[in-house]
Amino acid sequence: MRRFLPLVIIAVGLAAIAIDFAPLDRPFSDPAVKIDTRLGLDLQGGLRGEYRALPANGVGVSTDGLANIRTIIENRINQFGVAEPIVQTQGSDRIVVEIPGVTNEQEVRALIGSTGRLDFVEVPPARASSVVPGQPIPADLAVIFSGDKVKSAAPGFTDAGLRAVNLTLTDEGARLFDQYAAAHYGEQFAIVLDNIVESAPVIRATRFGGQAQISGSFTSQAEVNQLVTVLNYGALPNAIEEVSFSKISPTLGLNFLQQSLLAGAIGIALVFVFMLLHYRLPGVVACIALIYYALVVYAIFRLVPVTLTLAGVAAFVLSVGMAVDANILIFERTKEELRSGKTLVSAIEAGFNRAWNSIFDSNMSSIITASILFYFGSATIRGFALVLIIGVLMSMFTAVTLSRQMLRLVVHQPWARKAAYYGVAEDEFTVATPIARARGAREASARV
Amino acid sequence: MFDIIGKRRWFYAFSLLITIPGLIFILLTPLSGGKAGLQFSIDFTGGTVWEIHFKDGTPTTAQVQEIMAEQGLPGVAAITTAGDRDYVLIRTIQIGLAEFPATPSPLPSITPAASGSPGASGSPGASGTPGASGTPGASASATPAPSATPSPTPSASPSPQPSASASAGVSPSPSVAPSPSPTANPIGLPTEGRLADLRFALEDAFGPIDEVRQEASIGPIISAELAQQAVLLFVLGSIGILGWMTFRFADFRMGMTALVALVHDIIVVVGVFAILGTVSGLQIDALFVTAMLTVIGFSVHDTIVVFDRVRENRIRHAGEPFAAIVNHSLLQTVGRSLNTSLTTIMVLTALLLFGADSIRSFVLAMVIGIISGTYSSIFNASALLVTWHEWSEERRQREFAAVRTR
Repeated sequence: MRRFLPLVIIAVGLAAIAIDFAPLDRPFSDPAVKIDTRLGLDLQGGLRGEYRALPANGVGVSTDGLANIRTIIENRINQFGVAEPIVQTQGSDRIVVEIPGVTNEQEVRALIGSTGRLDFVEVPPARASSVVPGQPIPADLAVIFSGDKVKSAAPGFTDAGLRAVNLTLTDEGARLFDQYAAAHYGEQFAIVLDNIVESAPVIRATRFGGQAQISGSFTSQAEVNQLVTVLNYGALPNAIEEVSFSKISPTLGLNFLQQSLLAGAIGIALVFVFMLLHYRLPGVVACIALIYYALVVYAIFRLVPVTLTLAGVAAFVLSVGMAVDANILIFERTKEELRSGKTLVSAIEAGFNRAWNSIFDSNMSSIITASILFYFGSATIRGFALVLIIGVLMSMFTAVTLSRQMLRLVVHQPWARKAAYYGVAEDEFTVATPIARARGAREASARV
Repeated sequence: MFDIIGKRRWFYAFSLLITIPGLIFILLTPLSGGKAGLQFSIDFTGGTVWEIHFKDGTPTTAQVQEIMAEQGLPGVAAITTAGDRDYVLIRTIQIGLAEFPATPSPLPSITPAASGSPGASGSPGASGTPGASGTPGASASATPAPSATPSPTPSASPSPQPSASASAGVSPSPSVAPSPSPTANPIGLPTEGRLADLRFALEDAFGPIDEVRQEASIGPIISAELAQQAVLLFVLGSIGILGWMTFRFADFRMGMTALVALVHDIIVVVGVFAILGTVSGLQIDALFVTAMLTVIGFSVHDTIVVFDRVRENRIRHAGEPFAAIVNHSLLQTVGRSLNTSLTTIMVLTALLLFGADSIRSFVLAMVIGIISGTYSSIFNASALLVTWHEWSEERRQREFAAVRTR
C-alpha cells in the first residue's frame, strides 16, 4: 500500500487537474456532454418555483401521478426552448422547477400552472378559417368530447412513411367520434389544449372504431412527440398550486458569484499566511495539500455534478478552513512529540497516528449533522450539506495521504532537518540517532 | 500551571452571563408578538420580497411605503445599493405567487357550453401560446389507421383546408404575443394580481421600472414547513452528536457534557440574533437553520480534541485526580483548539466582509457559533465533565460510607 500511495496521489491529482481545466466529455453520456461547473440559480440568475399537487376528489396525488405531472410540466417548459430547465419531484406532492436565465417569467409560470384541459372541438366548414393552430379556439364552438376519452397516443408513420400520431380512443370516445365523423366527413375538427388549438386535422373517414391516425404537416419528430404528449398528458391529473417562487436577475447572480470568489480567495490566502508563519515547513506542506484538496474537490463538483449555490460556495470556503484543521492537529501533535524527545521521523509518524482519532471523530460529527441536513433539508440546504460532506471527506483523505507522504519525503532530506523549520527550539530537536531515541523514550516515560 | 478547571465556577457564571440576556430576548419574541426578539424573514413567515430599479431616479422609502399603504399592503421598503445603482427593496405579505384557476376536476364534462369559457377567461393558457406556435397540424388529416389511404398529404384536402393552412401560415406568433400584454415585457414584470397593481401604482408615481433584481414569494405551506424542519433538524442533530460522542468515547457523560456545551452555543447564537433583531432588525432565514446545524457539527470539534486527550491521559496518568488530568489535557490542547477555530474564522470573516449580502447573516451565525463553540469546549464541556465526575464520586463515597456504618 505504502509503495502505491504516492502513485495514487499523483494520479488523482492529475485527473483532478484534467477535469478542472480540460474540456472533457462526461463519461457515459450520450450524446456527449462536456464536464462543466453547475451554478445554482442564485449565482447565474433564473427562476425557481415550487408547486404542490392538490388532492383530487379528496385523494392525494400518487407517486405515479406526481411523476406524470412532472413530465407534463417539463414538456410544457421545453416548449419555451430554455436551456437546461430542471423539473424535479420533491417529497410526496411537490414539483420543483428551476429555469436558469429566463426572462419571460409571467408566461412560464402561467404555462406551468395551467391545469391543462384537452378538448376535441367541432369545426364547422364555415368557421374553419378561424381555427388556427397556436391560436385560441373561438369560444362558441362545441366540444365533441374531452381529453379523458383518449386512451393513448403514440408516434407512428403512415403507409407512405410520413410522420404521424396514432391515437386510440376509449369505447365512449370511439362512439362519439364515429358519430361525429359520419356526419362531418371531410370537415375539420380541432384538438384543443387549454383553449389553444394544437392541431386541426381533416376527417378522412366515417368510421374509425377508436383507432385514428393523424398525419400531414409534421415537419419534425419533435412536433409529433409534442402532439403525443398533449394527447396523452394534456390534462394534469391533479391541479397544482404555486407555493413558493423566486427569481434572481443574472446581474445579481453574477454579483454574488464575484463577491463569493473574492471573499473565498481572501479567506484562503489568510489561512495560507497563517499556516506558513505559524508552522513553517509543515505549513508549506499544508498549503500544498490545501491546493491539492481544492483541485480535487472542485473536480468532484464538476464530475458528479454538484450544483454550486451561494450557500454551496460558502460551504466550500468553510471546508477549506476546516480542511487545515486536520493538518493543525497533526503538526501540533508532532511538535509535542518532538519536544518529548522523539526523533523527527518518529515524531511525525506519532503525530499522524495520535491525531487521527480526534480528526476522525470531529469530522464525523460534521458529517453527521451535514447528512441530517442533506436528508431532511430543503433544496438550498441540501446543496450546502452535500458540498460540506464532500469537503470533509476529501479533507480527511488529503490529510492522511498527501500531507503525510509529503512530510515523510521532506524529513528525509538533509536540508529539512532544522529545528526552526518545525517551530521548536534547537535543544528540543532530535534527528534520528539511537541514543536520542532511547533518551526520548526514557524522558517520555519519566514525564508520565 | 494555569488552573482552568479549578476556576470553573467563574466560567459557569460567565456562560450564564452571556446566555441569559440572549434567552430573555428569545423569550421576548412570543411575548411581544414578534415586535421584539427574533425577527423572522419571509422564509418563516411567508411573504413577498421584490427588489426593483426605477429608470428615472430612486424614490425615498417613505414614498414607496405610502404607495404600499394605499395598496393596502403592510411591510417595509428599503434602499439597497449595488455598484452605482440604487434599488428599492420591498418586503410585504405574500402577494407574488401566481394564481392558477382552480379546476381540480380531472374529468371534464362534454357539454358544448364548456368549449370555451370556464378555465379560459382567466386562464393563463393564453399567455403560454407563443411556444405553441410551432405546433403541427396546420393542415393535418385524420385517417382511420386500418384503412389504406395513400399519402394523406395536405394538398389533398378539400376546400376549407387551404384557407385554414393559409391563415396559419401568415405567421401565427406575432398575432399571439399581443394578447397577454400589448407592450414588450422582457424583464418579467407582473401583469396580473396584486403585485401587478403595486407595480402600476409605483410606475404611475415614480416612472417605469427597468430592472427586477430579485423577486421571491413564499407561501404559508413552505414557511410552516421550515419552522417544523428547523426544530426537527436541531433535535436530530443533537441526538446524532450525543449518540456519536457516547459511542466513540464509550462514556455517556462525555456525550452529555458535549451536548450541554452545544446547546450553550446554540443559545448564544440565537440569543445574539434575538438581540440584533430587536436592535437592528436583523432577520433569520432558511440559511440560518443551516448555519445552526453546521455550528452543531463544528462546536464539538474542539470538545472532541480535549476529550480525546483526556481519554489518553487517563490511561497514562492513572491514579491522578480526574480534575488534574482534565486540566492538563486542556492546557495541552488549547493551542490547537484556538488555531483550528482561528483558520475557520479567518475564512468566515472574509466571507462576512467581502461576500454576498444574502449570506451575511448566515456567515455571522457561524462565526458567533464557532467562537462560542471554542469557548464552551474549553471552559464548559471539560469543566462539566469534572463536576459530573466529582458528583458521582461523592455520591459513591457517601453510599460506600453508608454501607460501612450500617
